[in-house]
Amino acid sequence: MGHKIKEQVQKLLEEKRIKGFLGLRELEGHILPHLFCNPQELESLSLGDWKKAGDARYPLNQILIQLATKYPQETFAVLVRGCDERGLRELFKWNQLAEEKVVPIGVGCPDELAKACECEKPFPDCLIDGLKGEGARSQRVHRVDGMDLDARLDFWLGEFKRCIKCFGCRNVCPMCFCNECSLEEELLVGKGEIPPDNPTFHLVRAMHMVGRCIDCGLCEEACPADIPLRTLYKKIAEIVNEEFGYKTGYNVGEKSPFNVIEVK
Amino acid sequence: MAKKRLTVLKRLLEFSGMNPRRLRMKWVSSAEAVEFVHEISDFAEEIKQLGPNPLRVKEAA
Amino acid sequence: MEFQTVLTTCPYCGCGCGLLLEVLDGKVIGTLPSKTSPVNEGRLCVKGWTVHEFIMSPSRLTRPLVRRDEVLKGTSWEEALDLSAKRLKEIKEKYGPDSIAVLTSAKCTNEENYLLQKFTRAVLGTNNIDHCARL
Repeated sequence: MGHKIKEQVQKLLEEKRIKGFLGLRELEGHILPHLFCNPQELESLSLGDWKKAGDARYPLNQILIQLATKYPQETFAVLVRGCDERGLRELFKWNQLAEEKVVPIGVGCPDELAKACECEKPFPDCLIDGLKGEGARSQRVHRVDGMDLDARLDFWLGEFKRCIKCFGCRNVCPMCFCNECSLEEELLVGKGEIPPDNPTFHLVRAMHMVGRCIDCGLCEEACPADIPLRTLYKKIAEIVNEEFGYKTGYNVGEKSPFNVIEVK
Repeated sequence: MAKKRLTVLKRLLEFSGMNPRRLRMKWVSSAEAVEFVHEISDFAEEIKQLGPNPLRVKEAA
Repeated sequence: MEFQTVLTTCPYCGCGCGLLLEVLDGKVIGTLPSKTSPVNEGRLCVKGWTVHEFIMSPSRLTRPLVRRDEVLKGTSWEEALDLSAKRLKEIKEKYGPDSIAVLTSAKCTNEENYLLQKFTRAVLGTNNIDHCARL
């Protein structure tokens, strides 16, 4: 796995169509993000599989925004899974990245990863390597829907109680690009409290994931308290789809209903 | 826009275990004093019927 | 241009979480948890997440400071060490070794902490050594 990606990237680098390829590399047993600027480096390319499929994924789009902001005239290629491609599509619409300056290099996710993520579409349309797998249906939202109101409240308060306000969920999120974050607004979430305002902190975050969350799961992986964040954000996605017929990142060009300024 | 966000918020609150009836949105202009009073009174009555907010009850416990 | 992520260990507490410093053109621009480090497996606390902030902070100490006329002034290592040795000796002779206390930190390495307690006990001659984690 990965040969087709190496070939494609090598070609792009040799033809000087890109300044660099933002992907992952293996170094002394660790997997970390890397900007490959010449073909020889591709020897160490990794797709983010450490002990299990996809367990060493990183928010590459977030790093890409930093590179593109400093070098807006350069074109970069970036490794994308199904979720990352959804992210790119939204970031283009939110003007955080310029579409003509980004070359997505697509890899599909194996079934075990798709099931673990309960991902509806575990492959990007620009797929070069990997599986064009079948999506998996979500169970976790369904389970919470099945509880009665009071049980749900107990459940969520109990989960959020473990929060240590590390901001990991927000920091790792490839879709969080706000310069001023509402979660740091004292009027919304009091400072110096652990756990942070329960359930305000997490409900505010969930509301800010409306039309933004691409269901990559990095938030839940970054949570030291094992809070089932994805369940909350998957429900948000379900609500947005049911109420507005919008699925984040599935459409090119069509903006989220929350990304439009209405003039009446 | 506010209407869209509130639609989502209502359903999110329900998913999180809070009664969606505790959130109400109504457009009332400053010229519609009677409407305003009616809406607030009606909402206050509804809340009274729903009883104390379980969040407060749990917090106190 | 050059971008790389550098694997390192968090300098704060004794856990030793693995983290990646995001380095763009020689400057650290951010921090990411290392997914492949056995201690933390991709998670960090708020201190680990903000490690990159102090590196380029203007408040960071870059040279020894000596208080002269109630104001801290920059000085050389020679003067700072000579002055510290001289004054500690004087205080020890005049008020006894137990008049001096040493406070160390989890940000120091185990080796530095070992050295400091050896210095406190064998050189200063007191047991008055403690650590910020006990506060």
